[in-house]
Amino acid sequence: MAVSLAPAAGTKPAFRARTVVARRTARRSLRAAVLWGYVFGITVASSAFSYNTIYKTAAERRRLDLVFGANRAVAALFGPAAHLDTVPGFTAYKSSMAVMIIGAVWGLLHSTRLLRGEEDAGRWDLLVSGETTLRQAVIQALSGFAAAAALVWLITFAITAAVGRASSVRIGVQASLYLALALVSSSVIFLAVGTLTSQLAASRRRASSYAGVVLGLSYGLRMVGDAVPGLHWMVWTSPLGWVEELRPLTDPQPLALVPIVAFTFAVALAAVYFAGRRDVGGSILPERSSREARLRTLTGPLGLTFRLMRSSMTSWVVAVAIGGLLVGITAQAAGSTVVGSSVEQVFTRLGAPGFGAKAFLGVIFVILAMTVGFQAATQFGMMRAEEAGGRADHLLVGAVSRSRWFLGWLVAVALSLLASSLAAGLFTWIGASLQGSGVGVGSCLAAGVNIFPPALFILGAGALTIGFLPRLTGAVMYAILGWSTLAELVGGFVAESHWALDTSLFHQMSAAPAVAPNWQTSAVLAGLGVLMAIVGHQALLRRDLEQE
Amino acid sequence: MARAADFAIRTQALTKRYGDVGALVDLDLEVAAGEVIGYLGPNGAGKTTTIRLLLGLIRPSSGRAEIFGVDCHRRPVEAHQRVAVVPGEANLWPELTGAETLHLLGQVHGKVDDAYRDELIGRFELDPSKKVRAYSRGNRQKVLLIGALMSRADLLLLDEPTSGLDPLMEQAFRVSVGEARERGQTVFLSSHVLSEVEALCDRVAILRQGRLVESGSLSEMRHLSAVTVEATVAGEMPELGGVSGLSSVAVEGKALRCQVHGPIEPLLTVLMQSGVASLLIREPSLEELFLALYGRNSDHAGEH
Ligand SMILES: Nc1ncnc2c1ncn2[C@@H]1O[C@H](COP(=O)(O)OP(=O)(O)OP(=O)(O)O)[C@@H](O)[C@H]1O
Ligand SMILES: [Mg+2]
Repeated sequence: MAVSLAPAAGTKPAFRARTVVARRTARRSLRAAVLWGYVFGITVASSAFSYNTIYKTAAERRRLDLVFGANRAVAALFGPAAHLDTVPGFTAYKSSMAVMIIGAVWGLLHSTRLLRGEEDAGRWDLLVSGETTLRQAVIQALSGFAAAAALVWLITFAITAAVGRASSVRIGVQASLYLALALVSSSVIFLAVGTLTSQLAASRRRASSYAGVVLGLSYGLRMVGDAVPGLHWMVWTSPLGWVEELRPLTDPQPLALVPIVAFTFAVALAAVYFAGRRDVGGSILPERSSREARLRTLTGPLGLTFRLMRSSMTSWVVAVAIGGLLVGITAQAAGSTVVGSSVEQVFTRLGAPGFGAKAFLGVIFVILAMTVGFQAATQFGMMRAEEAGGRADHLLVGAVSRSRWFLGWLVAVALSLLASSLAAGLFTWIGASLQGSGVGVGSCLAAGVNIFPPALFILGAGALTIGFLPRLTGAVMYAILGWSTLAELVGGFVAESHWALDTSLFHQMSAAPAVAPNWQTSAVLAGLGVLMAIVGHQALLRRDLEQE
Repeated sequence: MARAADFAIRTQALTKRYGDVGALVDLDLEVAAGEVIGYLGPNGAGKTTTIRLLLGLIRPSSGRAEIFGVDCHRRPVEAHQRVAVVPGEANLWPELTGAETLHLLGQVHGKVDDAYRDELIGRFELDPSKKVRAYSRGNRQKVLLIGALMSRADLLLLDEPTSGLDPLMEQAFRVSVGEARERGQTVFLSSHVLSEVEALCDRVAILRQGRLVESGSLSEMRHLSAVTVEATVAGEMPELGGVSGLSSVAVEGKALRCQVHGPIEPLLTVLMQSGVASLLIREPSLEELFLALYGRNSDHAGEH
């Protein structure tokens, strides 16, 4: 790859120096922006086209609308459904929630990586010297993000408008612009939130978990607002709720743009303000530079692993517990509306037949399984980071064998996953019994244990990869997660795509508590995870340690 | 012939390749127990690679390496029992304090001389209550140094141990290596600071492009190299054409300046004939020695 160090002809070097962060941010966002633009656009296109093939007659469409439109379970999970008897209504509904979540997660991970991550690695020291101050650098980074978001918007718009010309779809240019704007808005909000938390927190991991908390709260608040009658106002307390209230294609409500724009600007301004009040590499939230040594637990590699994982472990368990509590509370209201063929069909396809709170919770636990799978990926990623950062060397040049180090991490992560799984079961039950939904503590706990094996499988896949291709450890785990999540979303709604569901990791487990847990398949999943870990372990013993 | 276990380090045809690049090629190196050896070479010569091979962190492409007679590749944990290390890059856990890091390194090692550790903390003026995140680069390096020295391990593998240290701390480091030598510890010191190597090491080994190009005591190495002679003769400058081993000859009236390879006697004999008014014979400094060696063409590199 040719690298030009000389400034391009015709531009002033001073100008280039003053915009280096903006250009760098935009360039490093380019690939992701194009990718998400296409993904968003294609999500819209596939929803629009699949509607016509699945719901052919007007009667079928009306029934779909009647059943889903009033369904609180569906509203709680995927947002309210309006005008499902029309292509645009179905399209907006099908694409909104998935894109909203994916976009928000990308926004917060991307911004914290490019800001706090780069700063952690010491690369900002080079950038923020000479022509640029930290405050200006953050302004520049924000403009880089804005450019990236604009690109996502444009590509999504272009695909939507092109698809909208089809006679079977009929989405106009203006409506396409507005839909694309609605789809990209959660990314914009969380790019800003990530920029702010990058100023507040002293490490990338903390910055992204703070932003993750904001995302989790937003989802939870709007979920309660959508599900519980009389609490609809809660939707307006949540950034994701505002995005929902944009109601593209069906019942546009541009007024909801006001809080979105105001919130984004306020958050961005706060980020810029705080950037000016701290040092490069420093943080706003106090980070004590010295403290009493805590030696009791630091007795060796396992003690160290637990020390390193402690905050991540607590955050995940608490997050899963709060999530479980919230969905537990909504279970009764939401589940009571799961009567009627279409929703039941969706739930049945996802493995949770029947109706009532139990069926609803069956689907919920699939989502909780995805969450705990995500936890497996991030926590096992910490082990790879120890190797890549050269810190594992200190242990491995001592009396610690590679086996001991590796097993220590596997055990620690597995225990942390088990804790989350049990918390999911317990707190969902507490939430559900607060509303008197009559789901037993036993079946909730069993449902919690039931989501542990898929997470173990992902952990095993990571362990296998780290043995052979250490650099791909994270990528493989996230690919399994991403694919399975997508397959659940598509397979749940499109009857013809049952093959997709079959490839989902989470479809292999039974959707307890809607049905009884199938401990045999669970044992197979867990066994495969252990087997992969064993093979990965053998490979790890035979390879070079790889730093980055 | 010494037994295998008498050698702190022994490698046989040790080789590490990355694709076509020979990071280390056919290294045969023996370091006797109790020796302090300097390991030198330009950037990318293969010094860090050697140390990582000795530690079993990377696998040799061919050849073998032993520490005190224990195979580094097959029985790494056993080999590590008598080793302490300062790695080439100061990557530590930012969340831990200095004291916690030292405690952890000690736990991982198994044995620590607590009194000596505290002495070292004082000597290197380290504040152990600070978090690693808040340490300067030099202070992180100190943590690693103390972590290695406090174990009193039989073999110290030090990869550029003084990078980032100020001159006072560099002095403290020399004192500590001196103590290690007195206790009979073996020290393997990879470094770019030639004065440090000159002051501390009994022997040096020089690496270039993955191959060992020189190895021997400093005085042996000086003999291999040219000495500089500056002389003023009393009478006429004699004819020097017949003297072997001369180079860079510069004559200015009665003053002579030249380099002599090999024995110096033939030159002196010739000069005596016209009477010597003043004479200065200077051995090359380590720096000159290395500059000459580093700068050699690569086709000379593999000849030794
Ligand atoms: N993981 C790797 N992949 C490919 N090449 C590598 C790898 N590690 C080292 N090398 C190559 O091996 C050679 C020796 O590297 P090494 O780090 O041992 O040098 P060094 O003598 O320690 O240099 P320095 O004085 O700069 O620390 C270099 O050419 C380097 O590029
Ligand atoms: Mg090196």
